[in-house]
Amino acid sequence: MSTRQAQGTTLFTALLVLVGIGVVVQLWLLAASVDAFMRHEGSTAVHAAIASAVVFVINGLLVLYVFNFDRKIKRDG
Amino acid sequence: MSDEKDRQQNDCLECKKKKDARWREDFPVAWESDNYVTRREMVKFLALGSLTIAGANAVVAGLPHIVKAAEMPRTRVALASSIPVGGSKLFSYPREEDPCILVRQSDGNLVAYSQVCTHLSCAVVHNEKENVLFCPCHHGYFSVDEGRPFAGPPTRPLPRIKLEQQGNEIFAVGVEIA
Repeated sequence: MSTRQAQGTTLFTALLVLVGIGVVVQLWLLAASVDAFMRHEGSTAVHAAIASAVVFVINGLLVLYVFNFDRKIKRDG
Repeated sequence: MSDEKDRQQNDCLECKKKKDARWREDFPVAWESDNYVTRREMVKFLALGSLTIAGANAVVAGLPHIVKAAEMPRTRVALASSIPVGGSKLFSYPREEDPCILVRQSDGNLVAYSQVCTHLSCAVVHNEKENVLFCPCHHGYFSVDEGRPFAGPPTRPLPRIKLEQQGNEIFAVGVEIA
């Protein structure tokens, strides 16, 4: 395994952990917004939805970055 | 004796292997690769999960706007002249099984709230002396002005019943949840 490939593997693992944490945060936000909805507190649910969307964008960008990195490694050999 | 036993065991193992091989030919499933999930697949799965949860969150946030409150009936509650200052009257709104309380305050204004305590659903009563709505189950106190809890275990205000007065008649026209 080349150094670049080893870097890629480490990056992928780190990203996996980060995205996993993001998903857990999103699950917590979803639970909080459902709770707020049941208590008729619309504003909390809206804020939770915005935060969840932000976390999703961060997750998406991280995934795109690592896939681009992976493609680069494959192309360069 | 022991050699014969070993040979029999070996024969048995070979039989098993043959059987296994035949079985694998009939059902050519690559179990090892089937159970193996790559990092790439896991990241894709998590990203899709993230999208799904964000969507679910947006739906929950939009629900109050999508699902419009059901049309509330207009129900005659009482005659205004029948309730003295500091007095109260019980009624049901919007359904027969939803108890409410109508109170005339010291300034002559009429206010109505759901009678169901927001703590554990006991019925609140009007305490004329202290001018409060009182839940006798766990000693919860709500203000008559706004229905807000100010003592005891309840943390949420009582749902307010919207009233309309037409001549001497009072009508309940909606429920306002703070």
